[in-house]
Amino acid sequence: MRLLHLLAAEDPSQTHHWLLPETAEIIYGGIAALIIFAALYKFALPAAKKALAARTERIQKELDNASGTRAAAEAEAANIRKAVGDIASERARLLAEADQQAATLLSEGRARITAEVADLEAKADADIAASRSRSSDELRAQIAQIASVAAQNAVSATLNDGTKQELIEGFISSVGGAR
Amino acid sequence: MSEARIEAYARALAEIASAEGNLDTVEKEMYAVARAVESNEQLRATLTDESIPAARRQAVVEALVGSASNTTAQLVGLIIGSGRGRDLPAIIDKVVKRASNAQNKEVAEVRSAVALTADQQSRLAAALERATGKSVNLKVVVDPSVLGGLIATVGDEVIDGSVRTRLDQVKSRL
Repeated sequence: MRLLHLLAAEDPSQTHHWLLPETAEIIYGGIAALIIFAALYKFALPAAKKALAARTERIQKELDNASGTRAAAEAEAANIRKAVGDIASERARLLAEADQQAATLLSEGRARITAEVADLEAKADADIAASRSRSSDELRAQIAQIASVAAQNAVSATLNDGTKQELIEGFISSVGGAR
Repeated sequence: MSEARIEAYARALAEIASAEGNLDTVEKEMYAVARAVESNEQLRATLTDESIPAARRQAVVEALVGSASNTTAQLVGLIIGSGRGRDLPAIIDKVVKRASNAQNKEVAEVRSAVALTADQQSRLAAALERATGKSVNLKVVVDPSVLGGLIATVGDEVIDGSVRTRLDQVKSRL
């Protein structure tokens, strides 16, 4: 201690160096610096290390999270791209299916209409034939009726009393000569 | 009316006519009445109409039989008065048949467009007897629809020589 006092005691006779401090000041300052460094090393360094480690861990965690989020985003993007692709293919499939159905309907419709037209034509032919036959029958019946009326009129016109008597005599003769 | 009732009426009328001793005349006159009723729808409707008083129908019968015998008029009036006018032809046909059978004869109904002379009737009866082998009671009915020729019906046998039938055959052939 005494030494320290001696070292630290300022000698007024001595002049101050323009650059270097006084010796005692160097000593005290050095000791104080050492103490501070030691204290820092003892107390502050672990805390700083711990804080640094925590920060590193937090940053790493944030990096990991960001990486996970990015992966999820990429997966989502892939899903969306896939979905878009699926929608396009589904659209194409639906369009193709619709085209096929339309073609089938058109084909079936044509076939049905063709068949119906054929049926109608056949029915019309049958009706025409029946009508022709009916007209022919009616005409034949009318001709027969007219002919029979004409025959009756002709016979009635020729059946005078003499003819009637001849018919009666002919009947008597034919019946009488039957046996 | 049932066949039995018609037969009963015919038997009764024939018995009455026979009892009066003029069955032959009565059956001839009644036959003419039956054919007149048969051929005239208005007359038939009048005689069978129950809403017409019996006295009026009786007057119609008397006008119809005209100069016929009293027995005929009374017998026809009896049938009409009994409300059997609808069956008058059938009853009279049975009377005629009974009268013919009583003489062992078959009724020969001949339909002609014109009336036959007595000579024609005689020769026709003889011809029909020869043709059928039966003794016939000839009944001539004047039917203009025959047109010409004759139609003879003897029992179930029909000898048709009429122009009407020929025309019908031609018509059906047409």
